[in-house]
Amino acid sequence: MTSSSRVTLETLSRRRLLQAVPATAIAAGSVGLSDVVSLRADQLRKQGRSVILLWMQGGPSQFETFDPKPGTTNGGPTTAISTAVPGVQIASTWTQTAKVLDKLAIIRSMTNKEGNHQRATYQLHTGYVPAGSVKHPSLGANIAKQLSDPAFELPAVVSTNRTNGAGFLGVDYEPFVVGNPGQLPQNVATTVPVSRYRRRLGLLGRLDGEFAGRGGRVVAGDHQRLYKKSSRMVLSRNVTAFDISGEPDSLKQRYGDNAFGRGCLLARRLVESGVTFVEVHSRGWDTHQDNFDRTTTLAGQVDPALGTLIDDLDSRGLLEKTLVIWMGEFGRSPRVNPQTGRGHYPRAFSVALSGGGVRGGQVIGATTEDGSAVAGDPVSVPDLFCSICHSLNIDPRIERLSPLGRPMKIVDGGQVVEQLFA
Amino acid sequence: MSHSRTIALLAVSLLALPIAGSADQLRAADPAPAADVATRIDRLIDAELTATNATPSPVTSDFDFLRRITLDLSGRLPSPRAITLFGLNPDSDKRVRLVSQLLESSDFSRVQAKYWRDVIFSRATEVRSRLMLPAFEQWMTQQFEERRGWNEIATSLLTASGDVRENGATALIFAQGGSAAELAAETSRIFLGIQIQCANCHDHPTDRWNRTQFHQLAAFFPRVRVRPIRDSSPRSFEVVSLDVNPRSRRSNPFQDSGRIFRQLDRNRDGRLVKREVVNSRLNRVFDRLLEQGDKNKDRGLSLAELRALPQPGNANNRRLDIEHFMPDLENPASRGTQMKPVFFATRGQTAEELSDVKRRQLLADYVTSSSNPWFARSMVNRTWSVLLGEGFSMPIDDLGPEREVTHPDAFKLLCRDFVDNDYDIRRLVQVITGTQAYQRQIRDRDVADSAPPFAATSPTRLRADQLYDSLLAVFGSDVSRRSRGSRSSSGSTQSRRRRSPQGRNLVLSLFGFDPSTPPEDIAGTVPQALFMMNSPLINAMIRAAGNTRLARILGRFPDNDEAVSEVYLLVLSREPTANELKICREYLAEVGDRGEAFEDLMWSLVNSSEFLSRR
Repeated sequence: MTSSSRVTLETLSRRRLLQAVPATAIAAGSVGLSDVVSLRADQLRKQGRSVILLWMQGGPSQFETFDPKPGTTNGGPTTAISTAVPGVQIASTWTQTAKVLDKLAIIRSMTNKEGNHQRATYQLHTGYVPAGSVKHPSLGANIAKQLSDPAFELPAVVSTNRTNGAGFLGVDYEPFVVGNPGQLPQNVATTVPVSRYRRRLGLLGRLDGEFAGRGGRVVAGDHQRLYKKSSRMVLSRNVTAFDISGEPDSLKQRYGDNAFGRGCLLARRLVESGVTFVEVHSRGWDTHQDNFDRTTTLAGQVDPALGTLIDDLDSRGLLEKTLVIWMGEFGRSPRVNPQTGRGHYPRAFSVALSGGGVRGGQVIGATTEDGSAVAGDPVSVPDLFCSICHSLNIDPRIERLSPLGRPMKIVDGGQVVEQLFA
Repeated sequence: MSHSRTIALLAVSLLALPIAGSADQLRAADPAPAADVATRIDRLIDAELTATNATPSPVTSDFDFLRRITLDLSGRLPSPRAITLFGLNPDSDKRVRLVSQLLESSDFSRVQAKYWRDVIFSRATEVRSRLMLPAFEQWMTQQFEERRGWNEIATSLLTASGDVRENGATALIFAQGGSAAELAAETSRIFLGIQIQCANCHDHPTDRWNRTQFHQLAAFFPRVRVRPIRDSSPRSFEVVSLDVNPRSRRSNPFQDSGRIFRQLDRNRDGRLVKREVVNSRLNRVFDRLLEQGDKNKDRGLSLAELRALPQPGNANNRRLDIEHFMPDLENPASRGTQMKPVFFATRGQTAEELSDVKRRQLLADYVTSSSNPWFARSMVNRTWSVLLGEGFSMPIDDLGPEREVTHPDAFKLLCRDFVDNDYDIRRLVQVITGTQAYQRQIRDRDVADSAPPFAATSPTRLRADQLYDSLLAVFGSDVSRRSRGSRSSSGSTQSRRRRSPQGRNLVLSLFGFDPSTPPEDIAGTVPQALFMMNSPLINAMIRAAGNTRLARILGRFPDNDEAVSEVYLLVLSREPTANELKICREYLAEVGDRGEAFEDLMWSLVNSSEFLSRR
């Protein structure tokens, strides 16, 4: 690929242009530069937008992140620091994030009812509470269905952990799970030379034709499409987007030499190459014990990665088109228990958003002094999901039929939090 | 899937006839031999096919039959030796004999247990229920080995209690976390094939069942609970009954607010302040109470203010309810209407207030009663669909009086036979696999084809367990063992060794799907294709050198055509066609290196759609 250490706005847009136009057309000279420019408006409007979801698995404490209450009983020993935005303070362990807070919007008035990990995780990924009868598509799948380019060689949805799937939207929007972020995904590299791999694919195609002729036409046809899609990824030069080893060491250090930091750097590379939705997990936020020590350790990983990600996206001109979401399944209880831990608390918690047209440097809503309730501008999960759709120019009321023939909207209820974009 | 409206209406009118209004009268003294029933079913199906000018596909070859029946009943590919012996066997009854033999093998019970594991756990809303997968499989295998009828198995699944690791029958309840609404939905879906949960929120626009009936079904389950077993190692849960409302046992700080107020208001000034409550149970919630109830803002609560507060805490906690309440859609915060248990399909109900165990037993009796036709219909339709690739009604878990049924007479006959034979699943499988309809060759159905199905069978995807066991059958070694030593494209051998799951789990997690999904909705995934194409595991096993199946074949058969035939027999359970042989010869010539060419052939066959399909 290009020299990724020095990517300017100009090289970036050229790279994106090349995805939008078949390489052969350019090579053959059949598409002139002016055509390319006019194509750009059309295709990139849809293709350019993407989402990076930073998932704080377990339910991150709002008190130890974006809604500290220093000097109160419920606030515990956590202190707060000033940020790039005058008057806005966050927990003092988030020093790198504090520096880019002018690019982040904090919602301190998230409120919900689900206090069970699985159910809330499902809800915060799909917008719906779980029901055995239907597997709701994840937001990532819904977004990819709207925005992704079917001709793109890499999967539209990538995650660093198992996560909610595409439900009834089908295989094209299933998340591709990368077990070891920063390295090539499992089984994506051929075990034989590329020439032999191509030869094998040829033999497979010829032999499978026989089955197609003996009653397996549909099955063999689907199989062929899948193998085409998969082998296109195997043979694609874009697949190197999964490999962060070529990135400068200094940048890798800034992101952090841990799974989450590598995941964030991978997310930037994937979004840059054209992937629509990337989810990066940080595990361990379920702090029933030792809340303060553990959140400090976790912030030590998430904070530099988040701060660097926003900086990096911004300096590449990607932030305007990339929505970064920081959230978990719920917040944590105001009361500190005897094990210096905090319980589950969906009633009042925080979410942070950046990029994708979101006006940074603002705080939406607030919690009461003791942190037990939302004091103003409550934001529900459907409200949040409507706002995410708005950022991506997706109509949240688009309906699709579930397998049982029931029409289902991307988001049911809720409304856009206008202040995010004002 | 598009059938005409007239068929639908016809089907409704036919099905409206009670199938076994009183099954005892219909029950034959001596059940007909399975082969006779199979013949009658074929006659009914053929009559309808003839009426619609459909041409039935010919009966399969021995190769295809053996592969199909072995995958269906034993969950794996037949061995090349078994294929040869079966082909040479001149017995005209050999197919029937083989079915009886496979039904008696322990493989049958294991395959069934794995199938039902996927049915139940694919829809689990309680993720932690996965910890009881081995317990369920073991229990379910045992049910089949002991030849339990489907009615007995269903009853056990509905009425089970106890430690989930010790009693596998608790699977259904644990998988839904003991939630009354989810259990109502799954009970109806799995045992009746009816999606009544659509009526959870609204009366179904097209179905007969309404919202009240859904919540009446849920009212059989409000007292069942799943809870962790304290200090269990390994961690476990238990299904228990909650027959007494804990609210009545637990003293509520607000139950007698006057008494509490007098006790705490030590200075008798008629208001409670923080200082007065620090040592009481109110201390923890006092700030919140003030926030909500301190009308005159004097930082204290008068008795009137205390009484005016909404009942906090558990007033609306459904976990403490021992009855089921249908939520009020206009007012979701309210408690809703208490429901009495009524079984919608037969209107079975009781006036008594029953304990959890008795309620669930009563429901099991209603569900499995011969006066409830849906119990047999659901299982017959499901089993037929698994064996023929398509049910009489699709999807298999969305039956109902308004759904269309193809070949209604054949369906009715099979249902009656299932009831008459005490819901014996082996008998059901024996009848179905004995039909010509089961044994027809696969054929692509024209999308625009509105003719009734079963003129041919359609290829379906192997379930993950079938695929894994077929890989084992092909490569003849423990796939998981080999996966450990192999080098990976990502990560060192050592880190792979630590994280590499058992081979079966790897294949299950990659290839697993919900078996209630219609076959046409089950699609392959990119990671599956990557695994089959590029995994070091598969590539190590197809090597032409070393101690592999392929190496042995190449050593034994110096002649290329013979070696190609052996490879086809091993992987696809059949001989190559003339055209395939030609393609292989050309490929061998093109590559030059014999070992390399055969590795590529092996690779291609394992990666083919035919290998992944039941044909």
